[in-house]
Amino acid sequence: MSVELLSPIPGKVMKVFVKAGETVNEDDEVMRIESMKMENPIYAPASGKITEVLVKENDEVETDDLLLVIED
Amino acid sequence: MLDVFASGFSGLIAGFLHLSMPNIIMIVIGGILLFLGIKKDFEPLLLVPIGFGCILVNIPLADLMEPGGFLRTIYEAGIMTELFPLLIFVGIGAMTDFEPVLENPITFLLGAAGQFGIFLTLALALALGFKELEAVSIGIIGACDGPTAIYVTSQYAPHLLGAVSVAAYSYMSLVPLIQPPIMRALTTEKERTTVMKAHKKTVSPTTKLLFPLVITILGGLIAPKGLPLLGTIMLGNLMRESGAVERLTKASQNEIANVVTLLLGISIGATMDGRVFLQPQTLIVLCLGFIAICLDTACGVFLGKVLYVFTGGKVNPLIGAAGISAFPMSARVVMREGQKYNKKNYLLMHAMGANAGGQIGSVIAAAVMLSVLKGMGII
Amino acid sequence: MDKFTFGMTMLVVGMGGTLLTLGVMSAIMTVLKKVFPYKAESNSENKS
Repeated sequence: MSVELLSPIPGKVMKVFVKAGETVNEDDEVMRIESMKMENPIYAPASGKITEVLVKENDEVETDDLLLVIED
Repeated sequence: MLDVFASGFSGLIAGFLHLSMPNIIMIVIGGILLFLGIKKDFEPLLLVPIGFGCILVNIPLADLMEPGGFLRTIYEAGIMTELFPLLIFVGIGAMTDFEPVLENPITFLLGAAGQFGIFLTLALALALGFKELEAVSIGIIGACDGPTAIYVTSQYAPHLLGAVSVAAYSYMSLVPLIQPPIMRALTTEKERTTVMKAHKKTVSPTTKLLFPLVITILGGLIAPKGLPLLGTIMLGNLMRESGAVERLTKASQNEIANVVTLLLGISIGATMDGRVFLQPQTLIVLCLGFIAICLDTACGVFLGKVLYVFTGGKVNPLIGAAGISAFPMSARVVMREGQKYNKKNYLLMHAMGANAGGQIGSVIAAAVMLSVLKGMGII
Repeated sequence: MDKFTFGMTMLVVGMGGTLLTLGVMSAIMTVLKKVFPYKAESNSENKS
């Protein structure tokens, strides 16, 4: 089953720590989004293998934009 | 000839001879404020001019705060006329995006609860024997908003201005230390881990444009004595949201705000003359200010808990702590605390809502307070 | 007027007035949001 990570906040992607194909554990920091001049760590919603990363650094994201997909 | 030499020379040592103990202590305090601003990054934009102003005014015989002195001139032109805090407010309005509070208008209420510390502290100050208008000025530290505190205090208790504004600005920068323990103490694990869903964009540009107009007219009618505060912040916001006067918006956010901050800071520092400042009541004012901000946080969290119950567990009570007007520090504190207990909890935008509500709330609280005082015939 | 009456008035009318004013503002903004909903005006936005 795949789990989608939607952006919880609007802002700018500062760093992406993972690539497609990597495995992550639930609550690992996968990226960092700058919003309201604050760096916000974004954590993996589930453990599993990342099948797709849909954003790159410096992308502007809105709330609920799809960030990445995890297959568990 | 020789005695002329001597008297000429005495002019150069007179400063040392007139240096009193209070002056020395205040120069040290000015140095501490500079240290906090420059090295510790506590509101440097304010503490640097305040600290330096404090040093300047405590050098004897320079008479910078006597009639005609340059600090006195700035003080009379900008603080006694209330112009500086109001000009800063135009800038704050131009800088603040009220969208997060409009996304969820119920957060306006959290912005109200975050001001209750003002009134509770006012009562406490009265009980401690302060006069009515002094108590009002001490309570206003609980607005957690420098310009509001200066606006009220300079009118009704100018002798407390130095203490009140130093308290307001330094506690504002201590919000990240003051708030978390109170937030933890007042909430249960279950409440803290409440996840709030991200909101979708629901605020139309028309709503954002009408917001400053509606709030100004309504707020002005309810509390006319506070209209200068409300009107200036909303003018700034209207310019921002209209998008039609970008040059004015930019000037308010940058040039005007910067120039006024410098003049405001240095003239606040200039009120910190050792003879006036070094009194036991200054210490009491600083303590009461601290209590005010703790009470604000507690009341905000408490209303958050009420909303938690009323919405069937949809509102995380932690966001109530952001109902004060220390923007956006307080919202960041809430975001961090929330994530400490539940990593998938992103409270930032909700907390921003409460925080923007607090920004309005502090102005409304001050306006209501002044209008009530006016109604009672005290001012 | 004695200090106690003054203090109580500030507490009750002050806090009540603040809460009430912001409550009214909250209600008005809720209505405004209904009158001018987001979708109707956004023609170029909405990427997702």
